[in-house]
Amino acid sequence: MSTDSTYAVELRGVTFKRGERTIYDNVDIRIPRGKVTGIMGPSGSGKTTLLRLIAAQLRPDRGEVWVNGVNLPTLTRSELFDLRKQMGVLFQSGALFTDLDVFENVAFPLRVHTKLPDEMIRDIVLMKLQAVGLRGALDLMPDELSGGMKRRVALARAIALDPQILMYDEPFVGQDPIAMGVLVRLIRLLNDALGLTSIIVSHDLAETASIADYLYIVGDTQVLGQGTPAELKESTDPRVRQFIKGIPDGPVPFHFTAADYREDLLGRR
Amino acid sequence: MSRSTLSEKVPGVYALSGVLDHDSVVELRKEGQRLLTASTASSIVIDCEDVEHANSAGLSLLLAFQRDVLSASKTLEIWHLPDEMKQIAGVCGLLDILPLSH
Repeated sequence: MSTDSTYAVELRGVTFKRGERTIYDNVDIRIPRGKVTGIMGPSGSGKTTLLRLIAAQLRPDRGEVWVNGVNLPTLTRSELFDLRKQMGVLFQSGALFTDLDVFENVAFPLRVHTKLPDEMIRDIVLMKLQAVGLRGALDLMPDELSGGMKRRVALARAIALDPQILMYDEPFVGQDPIAMGVLVRLIRLLNDALGLTSIIVSHDLAETASIADYLYIVGDTQVLGQGTPAELKESTDPRVRQFIKGIPDGPVPFHFTAADYREDLLGRR
Repeated sequence: MSRSTLSEKVPGVYALSGVLDHDSVVELRKEGQRLLTASTASSIVIDCEDVEHANSAGLSLLLAFQRDVLSASKTLEIWHLPDEMKQIAGVCGLLDILPLSH
């Protein structure tokens, strides 16, 4: 059974555990095609895990993960290798190769995944760097770049193979306000102009809400809320309100689940 | 989807068709170089009307043809560039570089 083409990605009844700890318990998430969708939630709520499930770097303990009409857990390794060409990921760290210059960092996926001649690889690298405003930096090494420039080079590399789905893992972390503004604008521009489906995992509410068409808030093994940014701002759900308003304690507890404190301090000999 | 081809419609006018992606453009590049080098026309047209789907590899193909034509001191026009390719060309700053017409 294939999935609804309105959605580029669908998680159906997904449960995922790390050891005894349940990260997701029977969650359903649908990512609309051609839109920017934000996945938000407190640190440690499993947002990056969600990206890794979509990228098939992790397998769910139960449930289905559909990407472009294909249920990932049923694919072979070589089928997964092919499918991953449809997905670009901008890692939180940027993950540039420190011993390769900017040009070769962006060229890398083209050299690995295609048989394009050098002249065409050069064209595509220059096009992608032009798109992120860094064509002039092609000879620089990563350690000569600012944090914001590194993130943009990583973005050029993430779109080198013209993916249909682009995933961003905490793209705004550690960025100064100007670099953050540039990234926000680029994410929206690339999504609309290249016809992408963008998934942003972030806990930066203002930036993500400013560009997302749709938001999910995850935490406590569940989807706590979903809707447009405007809908979530008006939500009366206490768990959603706690996150949106940044209240430290509430339905999502400040404290990680632990044994009784008194018992921990006084009860053991 | 149909096979990707480059064929001469009339002398100097070449039709691109099918899907232009990272796989198909490799052979199309070789074929184009052969056809454009052999052409005796002083002005070349690449007609993209029958392109079904393309990504940035398709734009790279057009740039490669443009280099061939320029190095042979000929002129080039690109006809009927699909909207999908125009969108990518816009983001990548190619709309003023590719000789688009029609």
